[in-house]
Amino acid sequence: MLNGKNNKNGWIVSNLFLSYQTLISPLGTTIPEHVAAFKARQTAIAIHPNAGFNQSTLPVAKITAITNNRYDAILKMAIEALKKQTDLATLQSDETLFIVSSTKGNMDAFDTDAFQSTRTILSEELAIAHAPLIISNACISGVLAINTAADYLKTDRFKDVFIIGIDAVSDFVLFGFQSLYALSDGPCKPFDKERTGTSLGEACGIVRLSVEPTKNAVEYLGGTSSNDANHISGPSRTGEGLYRAVNRAIKLSGIQHKDIDFISAHGTGTVFNDEMESIAFGRLEMEQVPVNSMKGYFGHTLGAAGVIETIMTIVSMQENTLFESLGYSEPGTSQAIQLITSTKEAPIHIALKTASGFGGGNAALILKKQL
Amino acid sequence: MSDFKETLKAQIIEQLNLEDLQPSDIQDDAPLFGEDGLGLDSIDALEFIVLLDSNYNIKIADPNQGRDIFYSVNTLADYISKNKQ
Amino acid sequence: MRILAHSYIQPNGIWLNQTCVKSTVGEENWLKAIYQNSGVEYPKFYKMDDLSKMSFLSSELLRKFIPAEIDQENELALIFANHSTSQLTDTKFHDSYAVQGNPSPSLFVYTLPNILTGELCIRNKWYGENCFYISEQFDAALFIDQIQFAFNHGNSCCLCGWVEAKTDGSHECFLFLVLLSEEKLDINTLNNLYKTYKNE
Repeated sequence: MLNGKNNKNGWIVSNLFLSYQTLISPLGTTIPEHVAAFKARQTAIAIHPNAGFNQSTLPVAKITAITNNRYDAILKMAIEALKKQTDLATLQSDETLFIVSSTKGNMDAFDTDAFQSTRTILSEELAIAHAPLIISNACISGVLAINTAADYLKTDRFKDVFIIGIDAVSDFVLFGFQSLYALSDGPCKPFDKERTGTSLGEACGIVRLSVEPTKNAVEYLGGTSSNDANHISGPSRTGEGLYRAVNRAIKLSGIQHKDIDFISAHGTGTVFNDEMESIAFGRLEMEQVPVNSMKGYFGHTLGAAGVIETIMTIVSMQENTLFESLGYSEPGTSQAIQLITSTKEAPIHIALKTASGFGGGNAALILKKQL
Repeated sequence: MSDFKETLKAQIIEQLNLEDLQPSDIQDDAPLFGEDGLGLDSIDALEFIVLLDSNYNIKIADPNQGRDIFYSVNTLADYISKNKQ
Repeated sequence: MRILAHSYIQPNGIWLNQTCVKSTVGEENWLKAIYQNSGVEYPKFYKMDDLSKMSFLSSELLRKFIPAEIDQENELALIFANHSTSQLTDTKFHDSYAVQGNPSPSLFVYTLPNILTGELCIRNKWYGENCFYISEQFDAALFIDQIQFAFNHGNSCCLCGWVEAKTDGSHECFLFLVLLSEEKLDINTLNNLYKTYKNE
């Protein structure tokens, strides 16, 4: 069935193919809408009076059409779009697995079961064959979920894994980030000298990882994670975990550092996170590789971030387009890195996606364009 | 003032979950942060801001201001007595 | 894969390899009692949420079973799961702003279940792979899959845990340490081990 070979652990080594399925965010409900928004330098982040604690004003990337039960509403929109995009037989196949990446699930039910609605919606709307696997590992969840999907496909039990990355804006998370003084007064400015914090957003993205090439697919080469072993809420000052995660991902992918043409960084816009990432990329000798953060477009969408930013990375690769790192204008990290200052064409054969988050987690994955 | 400092120490222990400490373990002039002091970190500094707001109705807008205010029990007590509403 | 050691914590005490290490029947602050009995000095313990506290106390017992030749820094993976995510701390953080009027930063940082794996990594200088899964009940098949995947990635040891801290007080923490080996670990063996503790 597979064109791969068994290694000594009975583990199948073969090519895997990653394609985007759907993307729901304040910027649009289709991939072309998002491409257009990126090209038009449009941000989903808007100033919302009363959004913050004690009715304070905050920049937030919210889907304004949704007024309540946000998480379920966003998930249902994405599932509807998925059904139009992919045949039901594949979605419901016994050889198909669903993995959900979310930091908080449905916050309207945080005190009972934040993930019950996820299970119910996937079962009722899609009648999937297996219970979804849920990953909740802070801001690296999305990248971890794609890496985990690859593990399952290599068992030969599944042909397709659909990875759903989702989080919705909630008072809970907004107030929490406010209590950490981690939010910017205006839309976030990742890696910029004037950055003062992140901006939160909401989104749902779905990607498909398959053993057979699919439409719009790039090759998934490999990925891994590494903990900073340093602090539960602050990034390592040396970028230790990110450095290790990227190095291991490169090794697992069978490529070399110099092969990477583009980095989709985490880039939250907080002073310490962006500084940490620049240091890690410097240590990796990738300071000349074009890099962006997509938080300036989407805001920080937490459990969705790794998935939706991977979607736009696939778009970048297919369209040979380096998207501007929106919000960046002047160097603002001690290690200079190659932020993309305007959207332009360039060949991208191999791309690196990274994520870092609370709990000291860092994750990386590497994609290659099919020739 | 010394009674006030004892109250403050008890509040610090409660707010920062320093259950293993007694108020008498905290010296009035010893640094609260860093390895030499109580080993408090950046999240504790933010929790001090909550403590000041909840107990003394003192608001600190810029957490960077906190570095000097929360240096020791003495500096904290001094700041509270000058700014209490 | 071979289970080297396992432990269990619930409000009545802590067990190592099915032997009770400390009974906390009737103790009001049972986690503190276990900590004080452990002889471990780690003041940060008091700042942790209950998920982290339980995992920390268990891991302090289990880490002694990690073979000396294992490269713990790089080749030890953490595989954790639960049903209720960070529900107990979520409720406390919610109260901090909705009832007490000030969102607490030190509570907020624990409103993610994977913070506990971060705590274990900091304590032990483990830089390896971590992942936290949410499942409706203890799922032996999930753990066995993830352990196999971790070994496939080049890890040689896994510390796995099922850790719950719910608002109804039903805390439990089942940790087990697994070594890469030729032996097979089957779902029933792992399920039975968990059930033996659970029903004790």
